[in-house]
Amino acid sequence: MSAVELRDVSKDYGPVRALRDVTLSVEGGALVWLAGANGAGKSTLLRVLGSLTRPTRGRVSLFGVDPFAAAGAAVRGRVGFLGQDASLYGELSIAENLRFCARLRGVAEADLHRIASELELGPVLEQRVRTLSQGYRRRAGLARALLGSPALLLLDEPWNGLDSESGERLTRLLVRLRDAGAIVLVAAHEASGPLPRFDRRLRLEAGRIVADGAAA
Amino acid sequence: MSGASVARAVFAKDLLLDFRTRDRLGHMAVFALLVVALLSIVVPASRTERLAWSPALLWVVLLFTSLLGLARSFQSETEGGALALLVQAPVDRGWVFLGKAGANVVALVGVELWTGLLFSVFLDVDWSGAWRAALGAGLLGALGLASLGTLLSAMSVAVRFREFLLPVLLFPLVLPVLVLASSITGAALAERPVPALWWGVFALYDWVFVSLGYLVFDYVLED
Repeated sequence: MSAVELRDVSKDYGPVRALRDVTLSVEGGALVWLAGANGAGKSTLLRVLGSLTRPTRGRVSLFGVDPFAAAGAAVRGRVGFLGQDASLYGELSIAENLRFCARLRGVAEADLHRIASELELGPVLEQRVRTLSQGYRRRAGLARALLGSPALLLLDEPWNGLDSESGERLTRLLVRLRDAGAIVLVAAHEASGPLPRFDRRLRLEAGRIVADGAAA
Repeated sequence: MSGASVARAVFAKDLLLDFRTRDRLGHMAVFALLVVALLSIVVPASRTERLAWSPALLWVVLLFTSLLGLARSFQSETEGGALALLVQAPVDRGWVFLGKAGANVVALVGVELWTGLLFSVFLDVDWSGAWRAALGAGLLGALGLASLGTLLSAMSVAVRFREFLLPVLLFPLVLPVLVLASSITGAALAERPVPALWWGVFALYDWVFVSLGYLVFDYVLED
């Protein structure tokens, strides 16, 4: 069984079908690009993999475990997720947010400082998130997603709001995580800027995977 | 990763946010002050009548004041997309419910103490002989309101008319809290013994809704 497996997964939001019979397997150590136009189902697919959205039909398996089953809760600790929001509390500082997330995920505080320094958040670590620029919020959200060195990292448009230097640093970080054996799934438009060399490209259209192959 | 440590982390974070922003607590405190001040004008002046009306009025004021705070239980999560953090907690999400409901209990007990003080000042209610039973009713009432309120507030997070939906769902379900708490408070103020059955039913009601919240929160938090 692959590390990440989806079998005939569909997701309906009322009359709208966001995902249609998606079947997918991903092995460890892969940098995968989810491409597609707006509304193609990229974010929904990431949310299903991140256990944020329960599929209407089909089966999801992460590292051999169903993350939606009562016994599968622990596997959520191996998944890092960054959606289109930073998913942080505006009235808490970055350090307080990261400390809270570390406590939720059972991650040691040393990891928090390592990631904060890797993403160069040191100067703003004690500032409240609502006072920060969009770029810093995005980096803080990334730091939050990276806590605990997740084996599966799900990123939705991670380069949005980052300057070119931060974007390149993120690209290098994703490649390094892939080389360390993690699965990195990135939803991004073709126009998102300088994208890394992906191992695989999945193209979604109207909730279906219409192309799956090596990235050009 | 233990569920209890997740519940403690959520509890501590909610209290920190409550004390740092003071929005929720401040709004509830001012609302209670205004309503009790108005009541002091319209409630009959005789001490006997005030004593007879006070328990029911106290709990109606507490219900409406609590609603104001409970409706904002998930505001900090919805504003920054932070709900995803709670949904992704690698434990049974019932523990997240316990943490959030616990923080709501603390906030509601604070509001109850404040409102009790306002009743003393504006309506001459004397708690000296009744404080033990009133505190017991307050704790059980806060637990009942907080458990139901947290659950229903989470259910209405993604709903357009949540300010309308929450009271519509909450009021019929918390009727037993209102009846039991005001009966116990009334008996205590009149220096009558409180039947043990009332305490038992109250504790059972709370236990049912805390357990229900714990069990269904897993589904409530997901899309």
